Amino acid sequence: MEEELEPEEQERFSYQQRLKAAVHYTVGRLCQEVAEDKEVQFSKQTIAAISEMTFRQCENFARDLEMFARHAKRSTINTEDVKLLARRSNSLLKYITEKNEELAQLNQERKAKKK
Amino acid sequence: LFSCRNGMRQKNSNKDYFLSEEEFKLWNRLYRLRNSDKIKEITLPQVHFPSLQEEENGPIQNPATGIHQLSLTEWRVWQDRPFPTHQVDHSERCHHFVSVMQMIERMRHEEGECKYELEMKSYLQMEDVSSTFSSLGNGYSNP
Repeated sequence: MEEELEPEEQERFSYQQRLKAAVHYTVGRLCQEVAEDKEVQFSKQTIAAISEMTFRQCENFARDLEMFARHAKRSTINTEDVKLLARRSNSLLKYITEKNEELAQLNQERKAKKK
Repeated sequence: LFSCRNGMRQKNSNKDYFLSEEEFKLWNRLYRLRNSDKIKEITLPQVHFPSLQEEENGPIQNPATGIHQLSLTEWRVWQDRPFPTHQVDHSERCHHFVSVMQMIERMRHEEGECKYELEMKSYLQMEDVSSTFSSLGNGYSNP
């Protein structure tokens, strides 16, 4: 299948695979942490499936974020757009909102130090 | 909820938010689930996040007899192909779901070695991933 691709497509394919590989590696490490914490094991196939789902979920997120920003007449995606991604679950929204506040505070402290 | 309807005015019924007396009778006779029915209630699963502390909903309990909780997983072997549509097309999100179900189906009978992992290994560049992970040693770096 790979042989039939045009050079440009081939490059695109390799780049996508590189991104997928990075996601797969990271998912593997995160699953390892959960496995140790919960004393369960993940099969390699399960980790592969979570990786593929994560990669595809990024496409969903990216498209939604772009539309949310555009809906607010912005071209730069900001944290309000990200919070909208979490709107379906109260606990998730709370978690994301707290993380956002943490980061904002951290940024402010960093700025203060620079001055 | 509907039992207070009887006192409602009959005129304007088509503009009313609530059912008219006639509509209520029809609903009561044809559609309403009763305690004597085999299934007396239909529920949807609640959103649940095991990895975040769930204080809002409390523990989820199994539905009692006579209550049918709709399942999104019991027909999963059917879900490796797009289902027919009427007027609403499948979304990208839905196509992604179908693709992952196909991938899981392909991997179902794999034992031990994982083809996906083998392929990914050849594309991984360590600069793309967090160094807090890479220092620990892992399946990728020690063959």
